[in-house]
Amino acid sequence: MKIGILSCDHMHAESYVESLKRIEKVEIAGIGEENEKRGKDFAQRHGIKYFKDYEDILSDKSVDAVVICSANAKHAKMTIDSARAKKHVIVEKPIATTIEDAQRMIDACRENKVKLMVSFPVRYAPPIKRMKEIIDDGKLGEIIGISATNHGTMPGGWFTDKALSGGGSIIDHTVHVVDILRWIFKSEVKEVYAKMGTLIHDIPVEDCAIISMKFENEVFATLDASWSRPKSFPTWGDVTFEIAGTKGSMNVDAFAQHGIMYSDDIEHSKYAYWGDDMDYLMLKDFVKCIEDDLREPVTGKDGLEALRVALMAYESVKKDKVIKV
Amino acid sequence: MLRVGIIGAGGIGTVHANCYKSIPNAKVIAVADIIPERSKKLASIFGADFYENADDVIKRKDIDVINICVPTYLHSEFVIKASNAKKHVLCEKPMALNYEDGIKMIEAASKNKVKFMIAHVLRFFPEYMKAREVINAGSVGLPKMVRTYRGGPNPAIVREWYGYHDKSGGSIQDSLIHDIDFLAWTFGPVKEVYARGNVFKRKEPFDPEYDLVMMEFENGVIAHLVSDWSGNQKTQFGAKIEIAGTKGLVEFNSFNIPLKLNLFEENKGKAESVSIPESPLSPDIEPYTREIREFLESVEKDSQIPVPAHDALYALKVALTCIESMRVNKPLEVKL
Repeated sequence: MKIGILSCDHMHAESYVESLKRIEKVEIAGIGEENEKRGKDFAQRHGIKYFKDYEDILSDKSVDAVVICSANAKHAKMTIDSARAKKHVIVEKPIATTIEDAQRMIDACRENKVKLMVSFPVRYAPPIKRMKEIIDDGKLGEIIGISATNHGTMPGGWFTDKALSGGGSIIDHTVHVVDILRWIFKSEVKEVYAKMGTLIHDIPVEDCAIISMKFENEVFATLDASWSRPKSFPTWGDVTFEIAGTKGSMNVDAFAQHGIMYSDDIEHSKYAYWGDDMDYLMLKDFVKCIEDDLREPVTGKDGLEALRVALMAYESVKKDKVIKV
Repeated sequence: MLRVGIIGAGGIGTVHANCYKSIPNAKVIAVADIIPERSKKLASIFGADFYENADDVIKRKDIDVINICVPTYLHSEFVIKASNAKKHVLCEKPMALNYEDGIKMIEAASKNKVKFMIAHVLRFFPEYMKAREVINAGSVGLPKMVRTYRGGPNPAIVREWYGYHDKSGGSIQDSLIHDIDFLAWTFGPVKEVYARGNVFKRKEPFDPEYDLVMMEFENGVIAHLVSDWSGNQKTQFGAKIEIAGTKGLVEFNSFNIPLKLNLFEENKGKAESVSIPESPLSPDIEPYTREIREFLESVEKDSQIPVPAHDALYALKVALTCIESMRVNKPLEVKL
């Protein structure tokens, strides 16, 4: 199977390309990146071919699928172009910056009979899979409430340019946790209340946010979606869940499998992560769903619903009230 | 020498009583509890007199300070009685069940010119004092985003009254009020709160309670607070605070502890392992001892008490607003 990378705006392209290399039978078609310096550096770093125009990858009949890692606002055009070129698509999260774009992407992939998967690798983290299993087994009884975090360091670059990103830490960090909760509860978010602010960094988008949500199944949850980790923090951020149920409670830290590294080359300690590579596990599943013509493990609709919650959070901030679907 | 009477010989009464062992200028001379065995047992530590009726302690002329450690719904009654009997009063948190009672308690104390403090002991916890020190030193820059956690076991499993909303107010009023007071003390007045939880959904007193609160301060700080009564007796109690600022982040986590004792217990023929965490401190900085010591100092010197009663009333107001926000499912401004 031949897979191309469209854009490396998003840093996850780095780990995706390395993960793809580890999957048997996958051949990497190259990187299409209009920024020549960045694209060539990327191609050189990973030993793959460089194309300035991604259309050159799409017009190659031997290419089966693409991984889209452009800035959020460019997902829609690239996905629709890829679908029309009959390429299966896995697109970086969030699926898009508007519901309309997300829907057009879903429609285009359906019309052209190609897969559309949204990159939610956290589902593939074994501690998170185990968390779902424990909840599914009813070990915690009925779930009462959940306090989740998806913290990060401030990524800078296009992430802080609303025209390209659609927003700041909310649109960047809400979708992962919302996806996990939707996936576990098989229930949609019906109410959202959010607080946000540009509190830490001098940037034009929000860097701090708390989002309170209620699902159709009456479970309530909050999410801290903030770029509040300083540069000196020992890792990029976190994904954690604290879950209270009628029969028990559970604390999950998706990235707790790490040691601590101290080096005189840096002025602070660093986590040395030793757990599974969730990007690799996700991409393997993407390849399998194409090979075996299975339903996408994470659908465009999943991406759209997670995006909807992030947009509801913005609406809640704007109107300063609880937003109901 | 200050002579102290303790009312309530339950969990916190016992904690408080033990503190007096390392306070040389105070002596516990009387203990009252509705359960005679409890008052007798606690009084025996000091060779103090013991009573079933709190009034018998309050009316004793030779008592200077009354330390009230009874359930929340009895606070206002005993504080007002003790104040009217011209005793200085140290009363467990939360101040009262409702705001109006809190005002009456403050009025009674001020009318009788006695010191009156609510035991917001978190202000004396060394890790929370350290958090303020780090903030004040500017090491994290301007504080902006705060997260707190408090809880673990559901106290209603051991003491049923905690499980009744009309007796304890639930976990926000009883437990989260520690964090609320600390945050308001550290960051100033609260502008708005929004809370979700299951206080009004619980059916039985032993049912778990879990509440999540969002809080915005007048100075722009945003906080997220967890109040967790979802565990059983074996769940480890813990508290956490994380403060992210413009330059850095500082976190304290009571689950990181210096000592863990593992015991094997016989339980219905099955050996079970019980893990008991400990964080030993000297009486100098042990928070409950320090709190009582500083309160007694202000009594002796007739100086400002370390936790002003109006601060406790404010924390109560914020807690009640959180609960109201949960009831009406709306963000609410904190209005005095």
